[in-house]
Amino acid sequence: MNFWFAVLRQVGRNIRQTWPSQFMTFLTVSLSVLIFAFFYLVYNNMLNVGNKLGDDLQLIVYLEEEPGIEMQEQLRRKILAFDEVENIRFISKLEAYERFANQLGENRDVLNDMPRDFLPASIEVVPMKDLRSLSQVKLFSDYLSKLPGTLKVQYGQDWIERFYYFTRLLSIIVLLSGGLLILTSVFMVSYTIRLTILGRQAELELLKLVGATNNYIRTPFLIEGILQGLFGSTLGIISLFSLFQWIKIKFSGPGILSLFEFSFFQPQTIFTILVISIVLCAVGSYSSMQKFLRM
Amino acid sequence: MKDDNRNGTMIEMIKVSKTYPPDVYALRDVSVSIADAEMFFLTGMSGAGKTTLLKLLCSMEYPSNGLIEIGGRDIQKMRGKKLAKMRQKIGVAYQDFKLLLDRTVAENVAISMEVSYKKPQLINKRVKDLLEILALTDKHNAITGELSRGEQQRVALARAVANSPTLILVDEPTGNLDATTTARVMQLLTKCNNSGATVVIATHDHSIYRDTPHRIMELRNGKLHLVREGSAQ
Repeated sequence: MNFWFAVLRQVGRNIRQTWPSQFMTFLTVSLSVLIFAFFYLVYNNMLNVGNKLGDDLQLIVYLEEEPGIEMQEQLRRKILAFDEVENIRFISKLEAYERFANQLGENRDVLNDMPRDFLPASIEVVPMKDLRSLSQVKLFSDYLSKLPGTLKVQYGQDWIERFYYFTRLLSIIVLLSGGLLILTSVFMVSYTIRLTILGRQAELELLKLVGATNNYIRTPFLIEGILQGLFGSTLGIISLFSLFQWIKIKFSGPGILSLFEFSFFQPQTIFTILVISIVLCAVGSYSSMQKFLRM
Repeated sequence: MKDDNRNGTMIEMIKVSKTYPPDVYALRDVSVSIADAEMFFLTGMSGAGKTTLLKLLCSMEYPSNGLIEIGGRDIQKMRGKKLAKMRQKIGVAYQDFKLLLDRTVAENVAISMEVSYKKPQLINKRVKDLLEILALTDKHNAITGELSRGEQQRVALARAVANSPTLILVDEPTGNLDATTTARVMQLLTKCNNSGATVVIATHDHSIYRDTPHRIMELRNGKLHLVREGSAQ
């Protein structure tokens, strides 16, 4: 009989004898992984949505009057003085009128009585990709609003702010659920192993007395912890994937959700979640065993 | 019979004392050397300290004072793997048996061999042989908790000798046995001794050491006194 044969036999024996508590721990680990992974997935997708919205982000600076060529150059220099931008485009009053008329389509007749210069001239500024965080866009907007001849700066402030705070809230939930995952994995597994140890104290004491090494006693429990982590997190991820697919199919019709492409975790993220769960469960198991072996 | 005066010493106890809180002296300045392959009888009234002495020898407890060496090694300094290896070479039949009552007889006997990673075929054969010697063949698959005290005592003894240890410590091996079974038990211990194992038997059963050619010492109030020198060669 070799070490691993003896250890695996012991694992089988432990699982057979304590399967109700093992099963409860397995479910708890799965649920913890599911909760954490769910919020993390939502957070990830929200970040993607944010990036996508950021790609379309532009600041519109409405001007008091139409700038001449020289003033356009002055304004361009002032804008570039803040930071590099991707694009600056001047829209004349006439151009604004044409755009508006085109947007009205068949109803453009309503503009017939309006003067062709009733809309203000504006500058469309597309910031660089690295200028996308809210604080920077806000700073940029404040800067632009202080330029001479500026009426107003628009970039969908309210919506972006709400989105920003939503993602902040999500990141806090992800952190909390991550904490929950750590607590449940370590403490539940540690508690289950402790119960097993208490239930089999006589046997473990005897094993020590007949010369079992600490590894011989400890390894089966460590393997149990690893199995809890592996199977628990796998079930959690599979459940989340099923939920994700269901939501995708259920809400695949026209609607706000169809505007964005939601994606599941990359394989390396799944692998990382599995490994972290396994490590946490192994730590829980190991700590219980160490307490016993020190006794 | 092995020669008790060989150079090799299995057990060396020098001025060993053991006290339990608050101030109960179980052993006082016990000094004794037990040779390799010696059979040694430790007698004394109940509460004299026999079990305590055996517990110290198998490192289940540690002395308050003094030195204990097994096979030339200070057992108080042994930890981890070294301690485990040493325990594999010591077979102990405890007075309270320390059996796993929800396991079968065969599993209980096999446990000491499993921790030494013996081959399953070898374990099975050894278990069968021992159960036959101790008249427990029909109890091979019986649940240990369902056995009588006498049967459990024999299972504990079988487990103690199963791994062919070099030192066997037996605490009251015949307390629950009839004369015939006592004889079987003593035959088994003698066989182990003849094979080279040092055997220490703690007992107050006068019948099992009355005619023995081996050394007998008595514990009285925690102190060791020589009753009879061994004459076995």
